[in-house]
Amino acid sequence: MSRAAATPIRARQTETAPFELERTELDESQSTDRPWLVIVWNDPINLMSFVTFVFQKLFGYSKEKATKLMLDVHHKGRAVVSSGTRERAELDVYRLHEHGLWATMEQST
Amino acid sequence: MSSPIRRRRDGQYAVKLDPSVRAVLVTMSEQLAPVLSPDDPMTKRLFPPAYASEIHASSERDYRDLVDNALINHHREAFTLMAGTAEADVLTDAELNAWLSAIGAMRLVLGTRLDVSEDMEPPGPDDPIAPEYALYELLGQLQYLIIEVLAAELPDEGRPEGEL
Repeated sequence: MSRAAATPIRARQTETAPFELERTELDESQSTDRPWLVIVWNDPINLMSFVTFVFQKLFGYSKEKATKLMLDVHHKGRAVVSSGTRERAELDVYRLHEHGLWATMEQST
Repeated sequence: MSSPIRRRRDGQYAVKLDPSVRAVLVTMSEQLAPVLSPDDPMTKRLFPPAYASEIHASSERDYRDLVDNALINHHREAFTLMAGTAEADVLTDAELNAWLSAIGAMRLVLGTRLDVSEDMEPPGPDDPIAPEYALYELLGQLQYLIIEVLAAELPDEGRPEGEL
């Protein structure tokens, strides 16, 4: 078995979102027109192949696109994996949580 | 050597595993299923926050109220299904997906407890965490094998609606 193939997504587990300051003055209820973004964060446990698999399975992304998103998570610490209405984003976050991925949602700025 | 987990022509999956590995899957499932909770330090990692920012604290509470029971049930069902099929030589697609889910949850619990991190060196043989780390690695190898066979069934080009 290849160790490399089973390399976990590596990262800073306790990292918090870097964009809080820009939004502190915004009331959640103010603008409903801006889409909500679903973000997957790097974590040190989930395997790279698993993260790619989940993106393909849940979102129907091509293997190429799912792999690119996984690598973004891996190298940049996070990636936007879907976007849409608040309800849609919440559902996507839930489905990612079912699979153990560290997913959050935030409104685009 | 062929993989211990392979897809058969009838769409089911043949599973060849050592009895000791199967026993571990049963034991861990039975240990974790009853304690699943966002308030339990051991299983907390299975209930990640949906909102990263404090300003959405009330939304986060709403989300937790909405999903925590469903997440508990999801994981419990996977553990139960895996414990019930751990001795089987042939698994259905649904059963193998439950294995993947249950094993993934076990790795998250163990990995959090072991505090695994970037570029962590495997513990030495005398390290008290060595047995637990070995189990974590074993589950990772098993998960990898399951992903390989399940991912082979997904179309490389994705589904038509699968665009961002």
